[in-house]
Amino acid sequence: MVESDDEQLWIIHSRKGDHAAFEKLIRTHQAMIHALTFRLTGSTADAQDLAQETFVRAYQQLDSFRGTAKFSSWLYRIAVNTCLDWRRREKRRAELHVSWATNAIVEAEAGARDDLDEASREVQAALMKLPEKQRAAISLTAYGGKNHAEAAEILDCSETTISWRIFSARRKLKKLLSKKYSSGKVSP
Amino acid sequence: MKDSELDKKLAAARTPQLDADYVEDFPRLVFSRLRTVRDEKIPARHFWRPSFAWSASLALVFLFVGFGIGHWRGKTEMAQLSTPDILANAKLINETVAMFPNRVRAIIRNANGTHLVLADKPEVPNSPPIYVRICDGKNCSSLVTFSGQELEIAGQKITVLADAGGGIILEGSQFVWSNTGKNSRWGNYQIEAKNLTLEKL
Repeated sequence: MVESDDEQLWIIHSRKGDHAAFEKLIRTHQAMIHALTFRLTGSTADAQDLAQETFVRAYQQLDSFRGTAKFSSWLYRIAVNTCLDWRRREKRRAELHVSWATNAIVEAEAGARDDLDEASREVQAALMKLPEKQRAAISLTAYGGKNHAEAAEILDCSETTISWRIFSARRKLKKLLSKKYSSGKVSP
Repeated sequence: MKDSELDKKLAAARTPQLDADYVEDFPRLVFSRLRTVRDEKIPARHFWRPSFAWSASLALVFLFVGFGIGHWRGKTEMAQLSTPDILANAKLINETVAMFPNRVRAIIRNANGTHLVLADKPEVPNSPPIYVRICDGKNCSSLVTFSGQELEIAGQKITVLADAGGGIILEGSQFVWSNTGKNSRWGNYQIEAKNLTLEKL
């Protein structure tokens, strides 16, 4: 992870509209953002779409980055909010009783399943059974390398809340992963 | 299960491998989307025609929707203009629009399914939904949108305008098509457009 003077320069130049500088920021963080959006959605296609949306929002909001937190944490916060917004939209769409783009989603999830080993599928399926805020908390700490304080800042809540979410998430994950998944099904 | 076992399981779980071409192309995809977002924010040009007076005031919302029939060749079903289309169902469309007051910019049906395009804020002016269906002889695609929105068809930006009497104009920089004219064709494309609120429910 680059947290260097170079990155500060890229941010400054990006604010001035320098696409080459912003491309360097994208290339530095794109893998981590894709991993997070996949952990939060369970769908490769949605994860890619939301990763793009995250960087679009980041570019638009660059002026609001004050440098008091790590750039990666600021970017994570945008990604989490983008995913939560997406989840709310999906819930509202589901209420329409119309299968908007159902085929595309099914195909995308089938693709994601094919690309993962069984153990990874089991873990992702278990993550998808968690409430979204617990899923975000465990994703940031277990996979994003963030401590509780950083996760609290990203998710805009107290450290106590984060600790409780992680405790609850781990308790549920233990139960879920203790069971044998016969199908290895990813159920978002 | 012990904590250490859970940590081990979590650590071993990987995410899908991203395609190398996608990774390489990713920044370009982001910039492409940024350009689209900027296009959406460009203030609308003023359109003024005597019979379309009220439409001009609705042109404040400026939507850029990719609607390229060419990309769907070989993927979509063989279709004719007369094929029944879920988007032509006025009752369903009105119910859908009512669920997202002033936020529905378009409902698009293409080879990937049916997609709802929503504005982030309730900023889409109230106006009758307009159904547009375009066929290139082999494939058809359709959408529902509103007066004042801008689409891209076959690489050309086209503004959709409508009046209360059911008249609909598709206006591009190089052509004007109207559902009140005799010719339903534009180049290789056959076009159908109607005001859905005038349909019997």
